[in-house]
Amino acid sequence: MADRSASDSILFAINRLGYGPRAEDYDALRRMDVNSWLDEQLSAPAGDDDHVQERLMSCKLRIKYDDAPDKWHGLDEMRPLVTLDKPIESLWTVYDPQKQMSGPEKARARQEVIAATMLRAIYSKYQLREVMAQFWHDHFHVNAFVDDHIATALVSYDRDVIRPHCFGNFRQMLEAVASSTAMQYYLSNRSSRAGAANENYARELFELHTLGRENYLNDHYDRWREVPGALEGKPAGYIDQDVYEAARAFTGWTIEDGANIDNGRKLPMTGRFTYVENWHDGYQKRVLAHEFDPFAKPMDDGRRVLDLLAAHPATARHMSAKLCARLAGPNPPASLVARVTEAWQKTVNAPDQIARLIRLIATSPEFAESRGNKVKRPLALMANYVRIMGYEFTPTEGVFNQLAGAGQRLFGWPNPVGTPDDNNYFLGSNALRNRWNLLLGLAMNWWNTGVVDPHRALEEWGGRVGTAGETVAEWFRLFGGYANEDLISTTVLAANLLPYAQLGAGDTKGLMQASALAAMAPEFQMC
Amino acid sequence: MVMLSRRELLASMTAAGITGGLLPFGLQRMAFAATNDPLLIVIHLRGGCDGLNLISPSNDPTFIDARASDLRVIDQGKDAGYSLANGLDKNIDFRLHNAGGGMAELYKNGHLTFVHACGLKDATRSHFVATDMIEAGVSTQLELAHAESGWLTRGIAAAGGSGGLDAFAISGTIAGDLRGANRALAAGDINNGLGAVGGAPVSSLLWRMYGARSDALAAAGKLALELPTIVDERIARDEQGHVIPYVAENSANYDSAGGFANALKSLARLVKMDVGLKAVTLDYGNWDTHEGQPGRFRGQLEPFSNGLAAFWNDIAAYHNRVCVVAITEFGRRLRSNKSNGTDHGRAGVMMALNGTLRGGRMYGTWPGLATEQLEEGVDLAVTTDYRLVLSEVVHFVNGSKPATLFPGFQPAGHLGLWA
Repeated sequence: MADRSASDSILFAINRLGYGPRAEDYDALRRMDVNSWLDEQLSAPAGDDDHVQERLMSCKLRIKYDDAPDKWHGLDEMRPLVTLDKPIESLWTVYDPQKQMSGPEKARARQEVIAATMLRAIYSKYQLREVMAQFWHDHFHVNAFVDDHIATALVSYDRDVIRPHCFGNFRQMLEAVASSTAMQYYLSNRSSRAGAANENYARELFELHTLGRENYLNDHYDRWREVPGALEGKPAGYIDQDVYEAARAFTGWTIEDGANIDNGRKLPMTGRFTYVENWHDGYQKRVLAHEFDPFAKPMDDGRRVLDLLAAHPATARHMSAKLCARLAGPNPPASLVARVTEAWQKTVNAPDQIARLIRLIATSPEFAESRGNKVKRPLALMANYVRIMGYEFTPTEGVFNQLAGAGQRLFGWPNPVGTPDDNNYFLGSNALRNRWNLLLGLAMNWWNTGVVDPHRALEEWGGRVGTAGETVAEWFRLFGGYANEDLISTTVLAANLLPYAQLGAGDTKGLMQASALAAMAPEFQMC
Repeated sequence: MVMLSRRELLASMTAAGITGGLLPFGLQRMAFAATNDPLLIVIHLRGGCDGLNLISPSNDPTFIDARASDLRVIDQGKDAGYSLANGLDKNIDFRLHNAGGGMAELYKNGHLTFVHACGLKDATRSHFVATDMIEAGVSTQLELAHAESGWLTRGIAAAGGSGGLDAFAISGTIAGDLRGANRALAAGDINNGLGAVGGAPVSSLLWRMYGARSDALAAAGKLALELPTIVDERIARDEQGHVIPYVAENSANYDSAGGFANALKSLARLVKMDVGLKAVTLDYGNWDTHEGQPGRFRGQLEPFSNGLAAFWNDIAAYHNRVCVVAITEFGRRLRSNKSNGTDHGRAGVMMALNGTLRGGRMYGTWPGLATEQLEEGVDLAVTTDYRLVLSEVVHFVNGSKPATLFPGFQPAGHLGLWA
């Protein structure tokens, strides 16, 4: 039996920076050190590895809706994932005004991205990319449950915006997000026009995406000149006047949504990003104490705002603290945040800025000391359990909902902040209750996510099926939990196993249940 | 929209008082000791509800000049809003949005009040800073940095916890007002029950796993085993163990409450459970109408207003001991943007609903909308600190002195919601 409780740094890394080990890679993994593992992970080639591709190809996700007379025919089918490789304009045809589409058809792209997210978390060789994709999805959050257009745009947002920049350069990522269909819809920049610009995107760009709320100084200063450092061109933070001006800078950045431009000229209906000069407020602006001359080249005003924000020291501090909290656990030591902040500023122009910062964090002594201080997010808990049990997992809507009950509705947090990175949030009484049920439901296949084979799982980990007590003890070892005689006998009882008998094929159900019960232990909730 | 008249409400209250309401099948498990404890319900209108579109100074020429007609309540024609008696200024016809029929009746019945031009003294226009301040019960960034608990949490502590379930957040997460509250539970919907994980033997195992430790995780585990059960035991189930669908009383109908219906049914269940709850919070979001406001605002308000009225009918027996207060993090900009929406502003509207308050009138001070009367020249100015309203409703939690709940708050005057 592999000793899963071994506290090597590589095992900790794969639990914190990935979703835990699988039996088949365990031996190879144990021979690596953190640096070589990072080398492999940070040089992940674009796109999915073969194994994930295979899973995505064979996955079928149910879609079901009723007849709507004169609109559409109802159906109930197991449909392959068909949206993930399509360009946005071919997905956008669901909004063709000539066609009428049911709600589930309009939301289909989102459901497929959720399914793919689960499959990648479980099967991807490049685990760190999965963890970072979720970090950036939370940071640049769009709620794909609030508007069908965002549900459709999520495919491209995940594939073309978040994933390619996961380990890349923050400034480049910022522009990819700013010009993404998903964000343009979510924060209303799409409809922003010269004259009275829409402030929604600009405000969250400052507050959430870059400088951070701790640098919003509106209650302290009424005018830009009063902000400390402003007269030297280095304001310490921002006020509403900066938001108003930045909103003007992004006018004209929009989406081809069929809107009228003027005199019968219309934008096509493709869902793609575009820039409409007519809608841009071209006059001079002042953002963060920097003067913008009137009538800059197309999109230059907005790009300049992104330049100023990405290079600002407050952004370096805010983002470094956030990255450290995700990777090195809650309340990261100031020493670590300071080093990452410094490195952030030195790498603002590096194409692999984020990869370098991840390596700095993952190889720091503070990271090593953070072992066990972070509650696994529900996606992590689920993927971790499935990877250990090594069975064929099928994503279903039932498990999407259970994950939401445990605190993580993927791509569905109700406001632009994104799902919190906070232990207490995931430990609320009902979240924890749903978390335990998530494990039990996976083990017992409540949501048709796949049949667990406990005998095979034990065998693959080098364990063996003996008496009930012996076998339950194996599960506890596998899930890293502490087990004394009392816990083991209570588990045997709760799993309806006969205490002293040698277990066999007839005890599969009890063994499935026992695996979930062992995974409910406090130790398995943390990483 | 079916609403009971005040006389019918009274009749239904008497009937409910005698019978204890409809007795659904399976009630024998319920502890039916009515505690007669007061209960405060806090509804968060998240996203920043446009108070000027909810209740407009409909005949103010400055307002009419500043906003397109589909972003304000108008005073004539078939789309005219509900004129509110006892407004803030005898020369101004304050009108409630015409999708607010349910609320208009509650106002007329004298159970509902509105406090206009109300909000945070701090000039933040950030959703998240404003929300955090309100939920912490503070009014400056410095106070926020030092706040360690929500204002409701402090209210519950002052009252002395019940040892049972003190508070419930009908939400995916514990709202900030209940930050630090130990015996509080959050669930978006209890209409499917909150059954224990895997039955008694599994509970017993979990008690051993978590009970043996003394860290934060263990504390959370023990509460997760205990608190949901308190609620679940009082939810009636059929012989197969399925939760019996909720049956409202007094012909109250939640059908027109749309996406708000399940939360309100959960709320009504909690009110009627009599488990000693002192506070319940409830989220009703999506008020962040930066674009396409006319249709979206109506779509938000209609289910809210209908639902609130249905809920109030449903819990007629509890009108005197339940108080509902609704709050939003800020109002919105006087002038609209070109997306036909409004951006983040300052003052908004708060509401309070209870059978004993002096309802059917507006409270607060109208600051006016001329440029020099606006805050920073752009927004409705805050003339009533939100804490003044909360300090007058907080006796439904504990009857304590507000100063202990709102550090640094010196109430300027008194609204007199209860005279």
